[in-house]
Amino acid sequence: MSVRRKGPKATAIRVATYVLLLAVAVVVIFPFLVAVTTSFKRNTDIFTYPPSLVPRAAVTVPAEQVGLEGDPVPVYTFPARDDRSGQWALVDNDASLAEFRPLDDLERIIVLAVTDGDKTGATITIDGEAEDVFLIDDGGTQIEAYRSRLTSGGLFVSVGNPDDTVLDLVNFATPVQEFGPRFENFTEVLAERDPETNGKGVGRSLTNTVLVTMLVVLGQIITSILGGYAFARVQFKGRSTLFMMYLGSVMIPFVVLIIPLFQLMLQVNWRDNLVALIIPFAFSAYGTFLMRQFFLGIPAEIEEAALLDGASRSTILWKVMVPLARPAIATLATFGFLYAWNSFFWPLVIINSGNPDNAVLSLTLSTLGGRSSTDTNLVFAGAILAMTPPILVFLFAQRYFVENSASSGLK
Amino acid sequence: MAAVTFTNISKRYKDGPKAVDGLDLEIADGEFMVLVGPSGCGKSTALRMIAGLEEISDGTLAIGERIVNEVPPGDRDIAMVFQNYALYPHMTVRQNIGFALEVARVKKDEINRRVEHAAEMLGLTEYLERLPKALSGGQRQRVAMGRAIVRSPQVFLMDEPLSNLDAKLRVQMRSDIIQLQARLGTTMVYVTHDQVEAMTMGHRVAVMRKGILQQVAPPQELYLRPANLFVAAFIGSPSMNLITADLTVNGDEVFVDFGGHRLRISPKALDRYPGLRERNGTEVIFGLRPEHFAMEDDIEVGDDQILTVRCQLAEAMGAEVHVHAVIDVPPPMVDGAPTAAEDDPEALVAGTKIIARVDGIHTVAMGQDVRLAVKTHLTHFFDPASGAPLR
Amino acid sequence: MRFRDRGPREPRVTVATGIRMVTIWHLFGVAAGVTSMLLASRTGDDELPVAIKLLMQVFSIVVTVAHVVAAYGTFRGLRRARTVSLVTNYLLFVVAGSALLHQVGAFTAIGKFGTGLNKAFLPFLVIVVGLLWVLVAGQLLSNRPHATGPTALRKAGWGLAAIAAVWFVIAADPSGMLSTLADRITQPLTIGTAIVTVGAGMATRFMWQRRVAVHFGTSAAEEQTLSGLAFLSPNLIGFMFFFAGPLLFSLVVSFFEWKTTGTGRTFVGIDNYVRAMSLDISSADAANAGNEVLKSGYQVLMHLDWFGQNWVLGARDVEFWISLRNIFIFLVLAVPASVLPALVLSSILASRLPGMKVFRAIYFVPSVAGVIGVAIIWGQLFQSTVGWINYIILRAGEILPFVDPPADGHPWVSSNSTALLSMVVVFAWMNFGFNTVLYLAGHQSIPKELYEAADIDGANVWQVFRRITVPQLRNTTFYVLITTSILALQLFDIVWILSTPEPGGPNNATTTPVLALYEEAFQGNNQGYASALAWVLFLIIFGFTFAQFRQQKDGATSGGVS
Repeated sequence: MSVRRKGPKATAIRVATYVLLLAVAVVVIFPFLVAVTTSFKRNTDIFTYPPSLVPRAAVTVPAEQVGLEGDPVPVYTFPARDDRSGQWALVDNDASLAEFRPLDDLERIIVLAVTDGDKTGATITIDGEAEDVFLIDDGGTQIEAYRSRLTSGGLFVSVGNPDDTVLDLVNFATPVQEFGPRFENFTEVLAERDPETNGKGVGRSLTNTVLVTMLVVLGQIITSILGGYAFARVQFKGRSTLFMMYLGSVMIPFVVLIIPLFQLMLQVNWRDNLVALIIPFAFSAYGTFLMRQFFLGIPAEIEEAALLDGASRSTILWKVMVPLARPAIATLATFGFLYAWNSFFWPLVIINSGNPDNAVLSLTLSTLGGRSSTDTNLVFAGAILAMTPPILVFLFAQRYFVENSASSGLK
Repeated sequence: MAAVTFTNISKRYKDGPKAVDGLDLEIADGEFMVLVGPSGCGKSTALRMIAGLEEISDGTLAIGERIVNEVPPGDRDIAMVFQNYALYPHMTVRQNIGFALEVARVKKDEINRRVEHAAEMLGLTEYLERLPKALSGGQRQRVAMGRAIVRSPQVFLMDEPLSNLDAKLRVQMRSDIIQLQARLGTTMVYVTHDQVEAMTMGHRVAVMRKGILQQVAPPQELYLRPANLFVAAFIGSPSMNLITADLTVNGDEVFVDFGGHRLRISPKALDRYPGLRERNGTEVIFGLRPEHFAMEDDIEVGDDQILTVRCQLAEAMGAEVHVHAVIDVPPPMVDGAPTAAEDDPEALVAGTKIIARVDGIHTVAMGQDVRLAVKTHLTHFFDPASGAPLR
Repeated sequence: MRFRDRGPREPRVTVATGIRMVTIWHLFGVAAGVTSMLLASRTGDDELPVAIKLLMQVFSIVVTVAHVVAAYGTFRGLRRARTVSLVTNYLLFVVAGSALLHQVGAFTAIGKFGTGLNKAFLPFLVIVVGLLWVLVAGQLLSNRPHATGPTALRKAGWGLAAIAAVWFVIAADPSGMLSTLADRITQPLTIGTAIVTVGAGMATRFMWQRRVAVHFGTSAAEEQTLSGLAFLSPNLIGFMFFFAGPLLFSLVVSFFEWKTTGTGRTFVGIDNYVRAMSLDISSADAANAGNEVLKSGYQVLMHLDWFGQNWVLGARDVEFWISLRNIFIFLVLAVPASVLPALVLSSILASRLPGMKVFRAIYFVPSVAGVIGVAIIWGQLFQSTVGWINYIILRAGEILPFVDPPADGHPWVSSNSTALLSMVVVFAWMNFGFNTVLYLAGHQSIPKELYEAADIDGANVWQVFRRITVPQLRNTTFYVLITTSILALQLFDIVWILSTPEPGGPNNATTTPVLALYEEAFQGNNQGYASALAWVLFLIIFGFTFAQFRQQKDGATSGGVS
């Protein structure tokens, strides 16, 4: 290592570097953070402004505490009302109430029950309309006021003192909230699609995706090992021509193939069946290249020794070459997993959209999260479920994955 | 146990050059045959052809009575030790040695018995459960041999097995291998580029050059009666000194004149090289091994058998001193015929370099003139054009 | 008739008998081929669709001829006969075997297996855990063989997996599947196919044997060729069937007017291509003239104003041209956005500062998370009223003087002007990490000595970056640009999820060629035309790929430091 520059300038550069890296990391992590918190929120909580990263639930008190029976009652405060402090439980959401304005202070509003206030018999003209004058109770004193509006609002009971009640418009009440993640989001989203329970059916898609991914990865590993070995170590006629063809196949974008593949699936009656997602993708040109490259790197003498020992090519492949090829196989498995788990375009084409039994995660998510989605929190729970396995697999296999994808990509 | 017979074997590569050209060689049953030669001479190719790892372009190869040209390696009942040992990295020593038996579906007890027996023979018993990466070079070498032994093959093949070992270990392994082959009595074909190894180990040695077999004979024979200039120069360390000279033969009187020197050759040389008599007045190449010299006083020779040269360099080797000198004659560079200088094209200096080995008791200084006695009865003679010995 | 070799070889069937049996089998194969031909050619109620019929007829002829040749060859012991017989039987085995599986419904059963897995998912997870233990134990054992801990772990793993497997079978309840299988197996056609499969398989097995090879005098080189092709065959068959075949078919279809579902099919030559690519320019009087100014069949694509004269540019497939325009705008924006940050970041990550590996892993995560999830998240972020993007901009506007956010949140995704931009953001976010890693690999090949020399010369960080790092990464940059461009040109998934009110966005602002293609094939029912579009897109992409291949070839010889 060369002598490092020391001093304030170098340190400043270092700090700036880390700041930059952290900033980018924040940009990367932030959407995931939003996703995770949203997946724990109540649906109503998602569309609040300003957006918040914390899933919240309404604080409640048991009904008995405020003299009622039944479900717990939500609690509010009145930040807009200077004279009213403490927490209040909303007992009745549809109480009829009236707004009274004192005659000596027409701007002020006092909210009372409709039945409150005694008519004095007098009238007063407000804005050309004759209004009855009432005697109402204002903090102990009786004053004159007229009734400006009838509306419905809430009946609140003080949490500290159940005898203390107040009527007010619900708009002025702010719900008291606490940290309240809703774990049911995940169980609900996994439930079967059933009109009664309104399950979103991701559970079935999850298992389908597992099945498809597993079989695709298995198929790719086996065919790539066989093919890679053939290209690497067996001299057969036409090997270079075939290899050129394989190389060329990488240049063809998948989109060119979807229509004929679709027709093929129709002919063999694989449409709308998971097998259409598995067998056509159990072969991978990239995988074959990867294994070939790796096998080429194993010294030929080991194989020659095995040949002399009388082993057949097949024995050599599975007993000698493959145990040595673990890193390459791990890379292949990871690539294959990510590809199969996240694939969307082809499943979209081949699986009927109305069929929940054969859908894979990406499909179900896209219909759930589509333009007509209503349960955003469930959608996000589903998205988290869909994204966690590939991220975990990636982080776990990172050692092999990152080095190999980079180097094999540049060959 | 089986003999190996090459009949007119050739191997040609696509671009043309022949790696092995018309090889006829019979290796007897139980024989320790060494294939030796400079790199690129075709010895490894020949060995690999016995193994079945190289395709044979022409000729027939037989192991025992069987012609095996088209027989795959696994069916030839031979075993090979590779230069880099080629152990299976992920298998223990026991599994490595037993692999071939496993493939042949021998019963497990039998496998263990034979593996342990081989391990004992090679001193590997305590390493049986280790992986190759936990072994030293010498130990890996022995595992490779164990793998070969355990199969009781008809032929052993060894491809420069000692070249990756340090000098001391090499000497020890050499004797181990010799004893092993003597004990087992299996036919052994051994490839090396080190002619000292070749001379000490083989029953017979086959010298190859550029795909062509030069001579096959027991080591002593190669030393005493080389079949051509190349073999003469190749065998012996330091190499034989080859000097172009004018020959005068007059009855029993033989003289060679070169670079201002004249040496009388003992008549005994005529017995070994009768062809000299026809070469009076012509140019010949004569060869003197470094060990055919001595300091003037150490042996009794006539004055006309003394060579006076100026010492360019004296290497004190302890038991002997190597005296380097230059003869004022262009070194033998004969078209189409092998010479010692061919592998060293830079050596086109004016003058032929010679080396003489004299008793270590002498002190020779650089620049000093030395008088060397020559044992001329051991001289070799070759034709400058063809390199053939003048017998 | 067991040909299995076991231990010290004592085969039960001699070579001669075996060959005779194979010859008889070939004769049977001739008969089967003829039968198949007759079946394929039947008319009337059972007539097969033309494509399949033709295929089967050709197949039957080939099979029959092959068997005739093979029968003759094996009977006479001709040298090449073994190869012919092997190839014939092996291919027959594969085809018949696949047909058998198809008839038995084994393939679709794989799909139906999803139900079973769903029911028995828990035991499945336990099996996975068990196998993981085995795997981990294997890794540990590879370094210290015979260590007791890992060996026990491995045994435990297998045990756990075995128990869970039994549980799995019980929970998955395969009874339904088994009864269907039993039904299908007893069909006569299925039985026939099964016989052919088994026969071909056994014949292959026999003829493959060493001693038969010796009998027929197969050379070692031939044996290698057969061996190599055998190893390659599963891979190759898949390649042919699911790639090469469809590729050719795609090309053929593009010359037809062919309904996706249904039976409409007419040969139209290059009409599809012509239609896709047709453009027309006409002068107009008014600045916003309509279709009437153009040739018939053309619609307005855009209005131009050259030299004071109004022009109207029209196309026959307006949507396709719009998609081309969109995708090129996207390309121009998204590719630099995905590549430049990667270049800068990789240079930082390539240094040996602590923590670089962590950052590298973090940056890579968006590439693996899955495009659907990511698009959904960004959809929420871009939400005009409660989305974080607008909120952050609002807050930034309070702090920074030059940021002036609109009063209401901007509808990123549903507005003409920014819909495509939103896609760019998502695409760049997803891909920059992957590109960073690619660049990191490029950094590996820059010789350290260059940096050391620059250090001695007193260059500062920026100079080093500009004059050494960037030029040295030329090849990598080229590669990254091309691969990102190829990805960008195929944009579909992000658009499908993110754009509102429908895929393609407001006024086709985010329609991409692949989207247009998809809609044409599966909503418009025109797979012929859609195939032509696909090939046009392919040619555009191919231009990029080809450039990259050429550069790699040159770069390999000239690029880098010599």
